[in-house]
Amino acid sequence: MISLLLIGFVMVALWQIPSLVRTGWWKEIIVFMVLWSAGLILSVIVSMGIKLPPISTIINKSITGMFGI
Amino acid sequence: MFLEKGKISNFQLSVLIVGFVFGSSVIISPGGGAGHDGWIAVAIGLMEGLLIAWIFTALAKQFKDKTIIEINSLIYGKILGKCISVLFIWYLFHLGALVLTNYMHFFNLQIYPATPKTVELLLLMLVCASTVGRGIEVLARLSIILVPLTTLLIISDTFLLIPHIDLSNLMPILDVPIGKLLLASHGAASFPFAETAAFLMVLAFVDKPEKGPSAVFRGLLIAGFILIIVVARNAAVLGQMAEITIYPTYLAAQVIDIGDILTRLEVVVGINLITMGFIKISVLFYGTVLGLAQILNLRSYRPIILPVGILMVILALTNVGNTLEMFEFATKGYPVYAVPFQIGIPLLTLGIAKLRKIPPKGEGNI
Repeated sequence: MISLLLIGFVMVALWQIPSLVRTGWWKEIIVFMVLWSAGLILSVIVSMGIKLPPISTIINKSITGMFGI
Repeated sequence: MFLEKGKISNFQLSVLIVGFVFGSSVIISPGGGAGHDGWIAVAIGLMEGLLIAWIFTALAKQFKDKTIIEINSLIYGKILGKCISVLFIWYLFHLGALVLTNYMHFFNLQIYPATPKTVELLLLMLVCASTVGRGIEVLARLSIILVPLTTLLIISDTFLLIPHIDLSNLMPILDVPIGKLLLASHGAASFPFAETAAFLMVLAFVDKPEKGPSAVFRGLLIAGFILIIVVARNAAVLGQMAEITIYPTYLAAQVIDIGDILTRLEVVVGINLITMGFIKISVLFYGTVLGLAQILNLRSYRPIILPVGILMVILALTNVGNTLEMFEFATKGYPVYAVPFQIGIPLLTLGIAKLRKIPPKGEGNI
């Protein structure tokens, strides 16, 4: 599963980066790499079965607790 | 700064608004909590939604050709403006992920129980990413095809359900305590009507900006009117069941049986969710990537489409623990959580713009 994920992410990078390098859009490459890396790390975590905190549930608990809904 | 060169007509904007409002409302009835008076809650929610739309369209009209990100930088200054813009972008991103979560839970529970959730999400996200990459014009043109078709399907479903409608299920009218009704109304306003505040990222690309507000109101009124009929129809067909089921529209469509030939039409509801969910997610996805590109001063939003799409899918997968938690969030937490984004930021920005007289009179575009 993780190897499939890595192949997918490498394909995305290979599809985007060469054209960005050719045009010399370095800022766009940096932003792309930051977002791509975040996506890769989180995807690996999720595929390994590690539970990420459910954001909407946390927001809901905070709001209902705060306002006594 | 023009990251988007496309222009859409006011008619396309209206149709896009209708598709956006339908979004996940084609499966989840707004106005939950008001029982069989849900349709009244939706009607009041529509009025609140129109009031909120008046605020954000007034802001967009004052700053023609500018998205909320550019407006924030003008009003609050570079740093504070970008901080407020990041919050707005987070809302678009989170809302997009929530629609994806709705889509995933519905299909996983009702239609494709054996298909992995990731596959369901990735397939839809790829289509959305492809559309967003082609710009707002393509999305608007697609909505011209998809929204009338979906509307036709919803109206056909309603006509086919006429033999099963029992108007006594809607009686007594206004049976719910007024406080509960108003809470349900606000819930209906925050989901889906006031979510159109996301169009603060789109209104800058309307070819006749002075007519933008009327196009938004037209779209909201058409979608609202159809949703009122759908909610009333569901309550009239299902009775008490409409209040306790998660997907009343889907359950109501299961009742359709015309001479044992025209049956199992509930799958039409699933198709409606695919098409309208696609439009809503695409608008939110477009707003997210365009906004992010504007905040970071990028030359194009296209390079960040795929990574942002992947992050949206991850958030959709981990957003909530289960379907019930999602519904608890939608009915309890979300109407409060959405207020700063739907009303707070547009109202505050409009108020400051009026006080500081930005832009100066006669300069609609600065």
